[in-house]
Amino acid sequence: MRRTHAPSFTRNALWLTLLLLVALLIQACAPAGPAAPAAEQGAAPEAAAPGEPVKNALGKELPADAAPLDQQVLVFPYSGWKTFTTVDFFQAVYERADALSDILSDSLVRLDKDFQPNPGAATEWSVDDSGLVWTFKLDPNLMWNDGTPVTADDYVATFQYGADPAHAWDFSWYYQGVIKNWTQSVNGEVTPQEIGVRAVDANTLEFTTETPAPFLPAMLVYSNTMQKRALEEHGGFYNSDPATSVSAGPYKLVEWTKDQRLVYEINEQYKGTNIPYIQRLVVTNIGQPSQLLPAYEANEIDFVNGGGTLSPADFEIIAADPALNEQYHPHYGDFRTYYFAFDNTQPPFDNPLVREAFAHVLDRDAITANILKRQGIPAYSFLAPGFPASNSAAFAETWPLDVEKAKQLLAEAGYPDGEGFPKLTLKLRSEGPAPTAVAQAYASALKDTLGIDVEVTNMDFKAYMDEMNAKPTQMQFTLISYGMDYLDPSNMLGVFLSGGRHPWSNADYDALVKEASAFLGDPGERTQMFQDAEKILVDDAAFVFAYHQTPGDMIKPYLKGPSLEPDANGVAAWHWPGFSSFSDLLSGVYISNDVSDYRQAPN
Amino acid sequence: MARYLLGRFAGILIVFFIVSVVVFLLMHAIPGGPYNEDKVPLSPEAKANYMRKYGLDRPLVEQYVLYMGNALRGDFGVPFQSPTETVTGLIARTWPVSASLGFAALLVAIPLGLLLGIIAATRQNTWLDYAASATSTLGLTVPNFVVAVWLVLLFAVQLKWLPTGGWGEWYHYIMPVVALALAPMALTARYTRTSILEVSRSDFIRTARAKGLSGRQIMTRHTLRNALIPLITVLGPQIPNLITGTIFIESIFRVPGLGKFFVTSILGRDYPMIMALLLLVAVVWSVVYLITDILYTIVDPRVRLGKSKS
Amino acid sequence: MTTSTSLAPGQPVNTQQELRQRTLLGDAARRFARNKLALVGLFIVTALILTAIFADFIAPFPYDAADPVNALQFPSREHWMGTDEVGRDVYSRIVYGTRISLAVGLGVMAIALIIGIPLGLIAGLAGGPLDYIIMRVVEVFTAIPALMLALLLISVFGGGLYNVILALGIVAWLDACRLLRAQLLSLRERDFVLAAQTVGASKVRIAIRHLLPNAVAPLIVAVTIGIPVAIFAEAGLSFLGLGVNDPIPSWGKMVGNSLSYMRVYWYLGVFPTLAIAFTMLGFTFFGDGLRDAFDVSTNS
Repeated sequence: MRRTHAPSFTRNALWLTLLLLVALLIQACAPAGPAAPAAEQGAAPEAAAPGEPVKNALGKELPADAAPLDQQVLVFPYSGWKTFTTVDFFQAVYERADALSDILSDSLVRLDKDFQPNPGAATEWSVDDSGLVWTFKLDPNLMWNDGTPVTADDYVATFQYGADPAHAWDFSWYYQGVIKNWTQSVNGEVTPQEIGVRAVDANTLEFTTETPAPFLPAMLVYSNTMQKRALEEHGGFYNSDPATSVSAGPYKLVEWTKDQRLVYEINEQYKGTNIPYIQRLVVTNIGQPSQLLPAYEANEIDFVNGGGTLSPADFEIIAADPALNEQYHPHYGDFRTYYFAFDNTQPPFDNPLVREAFAHVLDRDAITANILKRQGIPAYSFLAPGFPASNSAAFAETWPLDVEKAKQLLAEAGYPDGEGFPKLTLKLRSEGPAPTAVAQAYASALKDTLGIDVEVTNMDFKAYMDEMNAKPTQMQFTLISYGMDYLDPSNMLGVFLSGGRHPWSNADYDALVKEASAFLGDPGERTQMFQDAEKILVDDAAFVFAYHQTPGDMIKPYLKGPSLEPDANGVAAWHWPGFSSFSDLLSGVYISNDVSDYRQAPN
Repeated sequence: MARYLLGRFAGILIVFFIVSVVVFLLMHAIPGGPYNEDKVPLSPEAKANYMRKYGLDRPLVEQYVLYMGNALRGDFGVPFQSPTETVTGLIARTWPVSASLGFAALLVAIPLGLLLGIIAATRQNTWLDYAASATSTLGLTVPNFVVAVWLVLLFAVQLKWLPTGGWGEWYHYIMPVVALALAPMALTARYTRTSILEVSRSDFIRTARAKGLSGRQIMTRHTLRNALIPLITVLGPQIPNLITGTIFIESIFRVPGLGKFFVTSILGRDYPMIMALLLLVAVVWSVVYLITDILYTIVDPRVRLGKSKS
Repeated sequence: MTTSTSLAPGQPVNTQQELRQRTLLGDAARRFARNKLALVGLFIVTALILTAIFADFIAPFPYDAADPVNALQFPSREHWMGTDEVGRDVYSRIVYGTRISLAVGLGVMAIALIIGIPLGLIAGLAGGPLDYIIMRVVEVFTAIPALMLALLLISVFGGGLYNVILALGIVAWLDACRLLRAQLLSLRERDFVLAAQTVGASKVRIAIRHLLPNAVAPLIVAVTIGIPVAIFAEAGLSFLGLGVNDPIPSWGKMVGNSLSYMRVYWYLGVFPTLAIAFTMLGFTFFGDGLRDAFDVSTNS
């Protein structure tokens, strides 16, 4: 057997090799032309004569300094061990392919870089006199790339999918208490069909809220629709395979190689208003966060999302290299605040004196100056400067660093010099280098000043959340963070409401936050109510607010466009919520012709 | 021999059974469930639905029987962490990647390790011995993830000879193979040296020397052959580890292999994936172990399989 | 080389036996003392143990005293090996880390030997059904990947130093068991055992007098390799956030943490790596020396 087969195999192999060689020769002799993807779009008007403006597949004119169309490719990294399963917010928020997802349809409302809500898939919206019923008019031009129109039914089906307890959506809490019957549906008390989202006609969508929710348009940034038909035919993962994927957004999914990369291409049938320059988006896997900067320096990726991934060593390298330093763009991130939290229902933290002692030990200035450097600013309260209703300066002297006072308070609480104080474990939720170092520094300070032994453990995300969410909570002492989901204090301050993340519970606080959230009157009065609530939070020393994260991203100099120009606060960065169709930032970026100094057109 | 092999296969089946039971119990003893609760707890109804969907609300015995029944029919279920594919599909796309890397590393590690070991043993207590020992010590003292990071900084960032990572081209193999091969190479070298020294002091080698055989003949015909026994024992268990992937190396070099799933499946309480991975390794390991035992009889005819002296 | 009188093994002459053992020990000590590398190994191991015991006197700073103002200082006269990301003295942490690393390395190997030696002996000597059962147990444990088993155990029982040692020990005993059995399998066919059998020595006697001493050498090598392997395994677990908790200074954890700092603050990774390397070298040389010194096969 083998003997007879062997020669023919060899002959075949020889032929193959020869063929390959010939092919290579032809390839080598051919004049260097545009790469394959661009060439395929024969009808595309990029064959314009020199001097004439170049237009992309959607007819958008590229700026004069833009690179050729085949170089209009953005390579965007993601890091971590997760295998992403979806690109749809309503399927699974924490299993999405990082920042470059939710671009296969438009959300109702779109933010600009100054966080102002603008029309997206909805052209206009209004609320009735009760403040409970909202009407959104859909853009009638929107089409799926299978040729069918985008209708209000698609949005209704999407919201019902999110409220369906069978789906067990990881973000179902988001609309709880806001959209009518949402909570009841998630709890299985009513059917998803009964939630307050309804199609009045093909282009009119109606939302009913539980209480007046003036922030609803801002909240509806997260309202990318899925297609009703595809959802029914293929289920919630239809966009995870290019074969079943369907798009009404600026891009369409063309490749998904699991654990390696996702590729989007511009959707020629896009009929919306968020028209991009960039032809092709490549989302590529960089396993370890520590490998992000090396890959960036090697021109393998165009962007590094710096929030929590860049290490102090990375910052040192960036600071030492003028070119890299210029490519670093600091911004607000998601207004994330890191804070130490206690289980105040159990000893020793049920004693306010103990919490106050802890609050006086944190040396915010030393920590920000020496550990965080560019990555954070001191936090004296929860809402970061720049966030609506932030009142940061007013709290700066509530719990200043005061070691003597702290010792005295701890002694009053019955633990002079830490005697008899239980050994603590400070738990972290799978954090990067910076928060870990902050926790270590605080643990050491507690030992030095109060004589309390603290071990720090950086736990696996899931194990941490399991302990956190256990009822009663098993999380005695932790450093944790929260970043906003939409730009309203009701979102940020809502995390401390009774029955939420922490066991801390305060009736006055709950009443203030709930009232302010639904308040329709004078915005100044509403802000005042939120600030009063925050004062309760800070005064009770229920939490020790440590720092506001100020992340920065690395952006290659050949990325240009209006999105990267300074915003109203002078911040020139590609910041939240800029990478999906939640905003118009992605469509305001192009690749300039400087790119040829850095890389070839990626495939 | 045939009877021995039959016995071994029966043994393998028993091992599978026990492994599956032990792991099934262990993994269900881990607190927490497989659902996502990254920000705010899921509603009890949603959790209950989730459990019902995957049959996790049933008694453990029933779950086990159901799982094994399906597994025997070739259905290993759907991984919770990647519900758009099947467990079989996931392993089929990732395992060949890890296996090719592992075999490449072995192909580099074993010959080099043998060479270093032989050099060290035949030139005992000379600078060659020390140099060879130092090289192999390096492989055992520096964790491979540290080596991996050094390699990236040197060859990708500094010299720009290679990309920092990726998969699909031949050059993507270079750095991960080097990082992976160091430890087994060092282990091979070390055990080879020790065994050769051991064996060369034994009577039959002295006899051979007395018979007037040349050093080289003794080395190839007698010493090396006998020195291979402990080596096989030690190297055998390394092979399944190597060819089923390693999370550290694969994540640093962006190799889309099986390695990370050994960790993520436990962290994510991905029960179907945990079971499948363990059964997979059990199969690989049983095969390797069987080969190891057969190899013993080849290199040392005095080892009689399955027979006790009495 | 053969210094002892050529006694027929197993001969029941007690006084001569004692005499022979005394000379054997003396020979071993003499041979060990002649081996320079072995002495270096002995020196390193002794130094490590002394460092672990007297860490409080050797280390210039406490291992857990953070000083953010002096974070990430390069090596200087005050901080010989620099300071880490929160300003702790790296040298002091390495000195104290000796305790943790020795505890992990020795603890894991102790558990491994306590479980592995008896089972390996029984399997290798008894053969038959006992061997079969033990080997199936070994297979079950070996068939579960070490990292995964350790992860499973730690996920069930929780992390921390003691659980990590226990989990790694439960994973590590297999090598000792298999090695011992394989060695016995090979040895029991050798001439001197056959000779002892002919003389009528009991099985247990043969095992303890002849087989075990002959199998000790590879075991020692396995232990010297197992110690740094255990230290590494602990590093890997710490890398995944499941190992020893901060501020407890484990070298493995220090190396793991240093990865994101390595490009600039090289000393954070280099010194703990060196500490591990020296420990490894020490145990290796020491183990090799012991093996050569007690080389029983030259006496048979």
